[in-house]
Amino acid sequence: MIKIERLNYRFLILLSTVLGCAILAFFVGFVRKETIVYTHFFYIPILLAGVWYRKKAVYVALFLSLLYILITLFSPQATLSRYVFERSAIFVAVAYVIGLVSEERAKGEEKLKETKEYLDNIITSSADAIVVVDMEGIVRSWNKAAEDYMGYTAEEVIGTSNKKFFAEPEEAERIMEIVQRDGKLKNYRTTVLNKDKKPVHISMSAALLKDRNGIPIGTVRVSRDITKEVELEEKIKEERDNLNLILESMDDGVYIVSKDYKVEFMNKVLIDAFGDHVGDICYKAFHNRDDPCPMCKNPEVMKGKTVRWEWHSRRTNRTYDLFETPLKNIDGTISKLTIFRDISDRKRMEDELRDAKERYRVIFEHALTALCVIEHGKFVSLANKEFEILSGYSREEIKGKKWIDFTADEDRDRVQNYCEKRRKGEAPACSEFKFVSRNGNIKHVNAWIEPIPGADGCIASLLDMTELKKKEEELRETCKRLAELDKMKSDFLNVAYHELRSPLAPIVGYASMLERCELSDKGKRYLYNIEQSARQLEKLINRMLELARIDGKKIELSLGWVHLPELVSEVVKSLEPEAKEKRQKISMSIPDIEIQADKQKLIAIFSNLVSNAIKYTPEGGKININVGDRGEDIRACVADTGIGIPEEHLPKIFERFYMVDTSLTRKSGSLGLGLSIVKEYVKLHGGIVWARSEVGKGSEFFFIIPKRQKTIKEGA
Amino acid sequence: MGEKKKRVLIVEDAAYMREMLQEMLHQEERSYEVVGFAVNGKEAVEKYKELKPDIVTMDLVMEEMDGIQAIRGIKKYDPNALIIAITALGMSEYKDAALAAGADEYLWKPFTIKNLFEALERLLRKRGNEGNE
Repeated sequence: MIKIERLNYRFLILLSTVLGCAILAFFVGFVRKETIVYTHFFYIPILLAGVWYRKKAVYVALFLSLLYILITLFSPQATLSRYVFERSAIFVAVAYVIGLVSEERAKGEEKLKETKEYLDNIITSSADAIVVVDMEGIVRSWNKAAEDYMGYTAEEVIGTSNKKFFAEPEEAERIMEIVQRDGKLKNYRTTVLNKDKKPVHISMSAALLKDRNGIPIGTVRVSRDITKEVELEEKIKEERDNLNLILESMDDGVYIVSKDYKVEFMNKVLIDAFGDHVGDICYKAFHNRDDPCPMCKNPEVMKGKTVRWEWHSRRTNRTYDLFETPLKNIDGTISKLTIFRDISDRKRMEDELRDAKERYRVIFEHALTALCVIEHGKFVSLANKEFEILSGYSREEIKGKKWIDFTADEDRDRVQNYCEKRRKGEAPACSEFKFVSRNGNIKHVNAWIEPIPGADGCIASLLDMTELKKKEEELRETCKRLAELDKMKSDFLNVAYHELRSPLAPIVGYASMLERCELSDKGKRYLYNIEQSARQLEKLINRMLELARIDGKKIELSLGWVHLPELVSEVVKSLEPEAKEKRQKISMSIPDIEIQADKQKLIAIFSNLVSNAIKYTPEGGKININVGDRGEDIRACVADTGIGIPEEHLPKIFERFYMVDTSLTRKSGSLGLGLSIVKEYVKLHGGIVWARSEVGKGSEFFFIIPKRQKTIKEGA
Repeated sequence: MGEKKKRVLIVEDAAYMREMLQEMLHQEERSYEVVGFAVNGKEAVEKYKELKPDIVTMDLVMEEMDGIQAIRGIKKYDPNALIIAITALGMSEYKDAALAAGADEYLWKPFTIKNLFEALERLLRKRGNEGNE
């Protein structure tokens, strides 16, 4: 309709100009009767026709030429001349040329139109929305697809601002900015609102439209409804989030790194261990390297392989079992997912277990008893070196042999179910039986059978007692012989004592009788010497016996209450003759107390100390006996002004038979027994004894004994 | 001391001891009289039965029958017998054994004449006390 109307309009104008030209020419020719008919205005319809009707303009030109000729012919003044025809021809030529040019142009326009239609068709039929927006944000074009998913028709939106379409109004400016800056926009995701104000996710690509001079005039935008994709993505993301949540809560470390070694994810376990390095380049962050680590499995994983390997982190000093697998991302790229399982403890335990196993193997192998493992109470499954030696079989031969095979016939029944009984706790751990070795030798063994916890087996430990039994027998024999010898010794000592003392009896006896006889001074002196020697001899014999008894068996104290001053006086009195002979002075200071002691032994203690002092103190020396009451115990000191004892001898003087001087020039009359008897007796009383001495100045002998004995045993 | 001399039987295997004991006792002739000797336990018991002495000095170590047995033998025959054991044996066990067998006194060799008479006096005093009881 519009087309037709437009055509008519053109036709009318043309017709009216042609008519106008005709009237004007007629008027000039016939009314004004000009000599020359003016025809310049004829060009107007010719031009119009040429432009509008192209080559058809020739007809208009011909018509006007004819009109011109006719008017000229019939006009009263004008004359038909060559000029008229020339001009007419020019009209036609002009019309033709213009028509030709128009034709050419129209052809081009036609083509253009076709192209435009083609494009319009594309635009219309495109599934993607194609919208043209000018620089002010006003919509200039709006295709069918845009109508479809936005709900607005082209008429509704063309000429209006595009701001209202975006969920975020600023988005319109942002897009315009990017397109202006970059000249294009690619796969830009945004959300628009349709007519119902429902959000539609689109992916938009845009380009800048420029006019011929390169001035931007607008943008063309191609958008695709990707709501479904976005929803899917969101779902995937949600799932990924769930996955991450699972990954976060895992005990194992989880780590995702991109193809480009960028850390995309670390779960809490890993962050705690290594710090948060999400977003960092893994080899830089974890290994301080400028390039990927040589052991990195990224290239392999990127090829789609799943890799499992063990890695020891020096930083955490822990060992991880790494499980690395490709992880396809939404955008189609692949990342590497690594599961870190901390196996340090397991490894350590494995190591320990291995060590322990090895240790036990060594212990088992090198134990000095024969060891074997008995499976199911019957078969020997494992044996050590010592078992090989005991049995005479090689280990290969032993393996699988019955346990009973090593048992002597008479012991078989007993040993048969021994393991089983042991397990039930019905048999003692240790049993003795006769073991048969390869060559048929019988060995007495002690067997310890222990059930192996949690296994149907026992471990048997066999000790070859054959030699031991023999040794035991020998030892018993030796003991018996020694006991006999001991008895012989003590018998001998007793006899020796008796036999030594017996001859003393007449010496002492007759000497005592001789005292009653009338003797010359010389005789008295001789007698005195005899008596002294006899007493000395008796003392030595007594000491020997005492010591033999101390040596042999324990002697017990005959305890009683002893009045100390009385006891010491008695001792001093008995020793006075010796002291007097050497013109020595014995002084004493004794508290008036009674102590619980063995009187005879206490006398022995004092008399040994005092007689020693007398012996080793030169003529005219002094001897002091001092006893201090210290409450719980007494401290006694026998001091002399004697020759003293060299320091190196001091620690040994209480040893039996120890003599400071053993040269032939020593003071005779001592066997080195006195002080050892003192020591033994003081010890028996629960006391201690020691000495202090300075050579040339004298010695001090101390002893401390409790006033009361712990085990009160009143002496006979 | 009673007016009556104490009759003493000396049991000793060593001749020199027998002689010495006799010598010693004769120093107190008014109180003691050696009535016989025995050289072993068996003879001692026989002699005791035969002589019925007041006091027996008994050596413990003798052939054939030792002193302990002899003490028992005599005491069995006469519980009132007065026996003084005289020995060179050092161990107190022997003293205990002798006393347990019935010896009334104990004297260690070697001894002086004084020791002997002290022991005898103790012995007689003891018997005197017992007599009084």
